[in-house]
Amino acid sequence: MKMRNRTKFHIQSLNQEKLLSKLCKLVPLEEIERKNKLESSFECSYFDSKRVEKFLKNNNVKILDVKHFGLAFQCKRVLSAYGLLLAVVVFLVFYLVQNQFVLQYQVNGTEKLDKFEVVEFVKDNFSSRKSDIATDEVEVKLMEKFDEISFVSCIIKGQTLVLNIKEKLLPDEMYSTFSPIVAQKDGKITKIDLISGTANVEVGDIVQKGDILVSPYMIDTSGNVKHVETRAEILAQVFNEGSCDHYESFIQVERTGKKVEESEVTLFGLSIYKFKQDVNFSLYEVEYENIDLTNNLFLPFKLKKTIYYELEEKVVESKFEDVQDEYIAKAREKALENCENCDTIIEEFYTLRHLSGITIVNYCIVTQEQIGGTYDS
Amino acid sequence: MFNFLEEIKENIRTPLELDSFNLINVAGHLLYVEGHLGLVTLSKELVSFKVKGGVIIVEGQNMILAELSENTLKICGIIKKVEQV
Repeated sequence: MKMRNRTKFHIQSLNQEKLLSKLCKLVPLEEIERKNKLESSFECSYFDSKRVEKFLKNNNVKILDVKHFGLAFQCKRVLSAYGLLLAVVVFLVFYLVQNQFVLQYQVNGTEKLDKFEVVEFVKDNFSSRKSDIATDEVEVKLMEKFDEISFVSCIIKGQTLVLNIKEKLLPDEMYSTFSPIVAQKDGKITKIDLISGTANVEVGDIVQKGDILVSPYMIDTSGNVKHVETRAEILAQVFNEGSCDHYESFIQVERTGKKVEESEVTLFGLSIYKFKQDVNFSLYEVEYENIDLTNNLFLPFKLKKTIYYELEEKVVESKFEDVQDEYIAKAREKALENCENCDTIIEEFYTLRHLSGITIVNYCIVTQEQIGGTYDS
Repeated sequence: MFNFLEEIKENIRTPLELDSFNLINVAGHLLYVEGHLGLVTLSKELVSFKVKGGVIIVEGQNMILAELSENTLKICGIIKKVEQV
């Protein structure tokens, strides 16, 4: 077998000298041999053979024979002839090898158990080769390791190890954090409906927000302390307050309507143009405004406006009697804001406190609310 | 590197046009040509090709064109006569 990558053409045409002279400008030719007046043969590089063939066809030359030599041609021939077969063989080998292993783990039926923990346990204790995994043994080991498991079945489906787990029904106390019931608001206890736990307060007690109402334990007849989950409904009278102050005279600041504007055009934070005026106001407030002059990122011109508004102070005088109802309504609104979760409004009242020039309106709404615990009948 | 053809050209005192083509006959069995302008005749007994200023005719026996590129060619076989017309 010739190792050089060559292609030998055997052609038939008229005026072969002219043809070869043209062809040699395209690719170098070798071993040119005139067979007879109409036929000749020549060799060229195997990698140029396509170009030569195209050239000969374009020049209406009859190609009698084409022979390829060399390693590159042999490799290509083997690949094209046996490529599909080779791919099938490689695929089968790969499939057979990887089919021996478990690649995926599936855990079903867990609620309290951590799936990740179960999978890690199986991975650590058993091989990933399917032939080495005894499903019975996996089931027994899982039952031994995890107390929460009541029933487990293990099967290998394809390349997935499927674990179907049924968990034990354990009492809630097993998972409880035994937290006490604390008061969510200040108030006076009106009703205690205790299901479990030990009450720390009685009806009529006044409690503050954060006080422990029910402790998460019970003491049995033998004096033993037993931790339990706290469950109770505790109702209390809650005093929701809102206040509003009225001043007989106060200074009100208002805009006069005069304003001065400053403008600045910037590009990438650099000032391009600036227009500034003197601000002669003794009292003023400032507003800033940023406007994009262009909508592109290429030249992001921006206009920065600064507006100075002149202010003036006015002394406003009003008598409380004239606006009393308005202030009481305001104080009530504030009190109602604190009654988000109230069940029943028991009573409403307000008080007025007159100081020198100030009147303070206090509005109180007494409600009955559940201030701690949950109740499941 | 020593270039035989360049060396010969430099040693010639009379000014001549020497850059048109080069033709080397090796032991009457190999003819190497630089600067050809295309084949005119090709057979086992006669090969002729154009060069600048004329045509070279090569006569012999069992001659083949061992190489042919854009401006060089190599003739192998028994070379009896090389003539420029």
